[in-house]
Amino acid sequence: MTVKVRFFARFRELLGTDILAEPGTGTAISTLVKDIAQHKKEGYDAIFDDNGAFREFVIVMRNGKRVEIPDAGKTVVADGDEIAVFPPVAGG
Amino acid sequence: MFSDRELERYKRQILLFGEEGQERLKAAHIFIAGAGGLGSPIAIYLAVAGVGTITVVDMDTVDQSNLNRQILHTDRDVGKKKTVSALEKLQAYNPDITVNAIDATIGAENVGRLVGRADGIVDAMDNYPIRYLLNRVALEKKIPFFHGAIRGFYGQATTIIPGETPCLECIFPKAPPKEVFPVVGVTPGVIGTVQATEVVKYLTKSGKLLSGRLFTWDGLCATAEEITIVQNPACPACCTGATKEMR
Repeated sequence: MTVKVRFFARFRELLGTDILAEPGTGTAISTLVKDIAQHKKEGYDAIFDDNGAFREFVIVMRNGKRVEIPDAGKTVVADGDEIAVFPPVAGG
Repeated sequence: MFSDRELERYKRQILLFGEEGQERLKAAHIFIAGAGGLGSPIAIYLAVAGVGTITVVDMDTVDQSNLNRQILHTDRDVGKKKTVSALEKLQAYNPDITVNAIDATIGAENVGRLVGRADGIVDAMDNYPIRYLLNRVALEKKIPFFHGAIRGFYGQATTIIPGETPCLECIFPKAPPKEVFPVVGVTPGVIGTVQATEVVKYLTKSGKLLSGRLFTWDGLCATAEEITIVQNPACPACCTGATKEMR
């Protein structure tokens, strides 16, 4: 199965965007994003905390619908899904 | 009624939305929170468009390091209060409007009074705690909140209409950590101009607002995208009646 992961803002600078992944059946969103982010420590650390959970301000969306952070570890991706991961941008 | 000078000044945009639209702009009072990177293009474009009353609030002094992006202020303004500098520039851009430049720190205790009877709030802040206050006061007063934020070459904007769209806390329930954010002036130029466009559209009842949509701009890739946003039924700001306290 193919899933597209899109990073925005600073996450995009660190990890790129529009990444096509081929996760195995039963892969949770957090596992998928972790696997992708792992190749760049700075990118990983920007998104995940020391316990490997999404940082509380990170916004995760699956096909345009918000996935609450506590649910990202148990929400399984499906073929054709698009996962968006972005931080609130703060500057003015 | 418009003077001959006003009719001449606004001639090209009266072609777009008529004298009726121009009158709506003239009758409007818009509150701009911040006279920095975003606040500069927002205030300038709303002033030249003829928004009748503009209130701009800032507590800062112009610093040399502001000048790469805060185009309301020039080299000779360094050391002046931003409100003094903003007032001079905006009145020079358009002497036919009223500008209230208020030197104040926006906080929970004064935000309702500062916004007063404005018809809309434009977000030109650089932090989420104050944005959340502005979001709540906009909900309470049932006036639109034109959100914008930037970092580096990247920016975002959305228009929040109380009772109709998700609010800022629905979209971003938790503030990111504070940082000295990198920025090049063109980014607040893009996003501030999007926000000012939204204000003009809202006031003149033109087009389709950025409501329920988060506009994102990636200057490095030169791509604009939108993310659909939905109301959070558990939002503490807009779904529980928690907005009654700020007067």
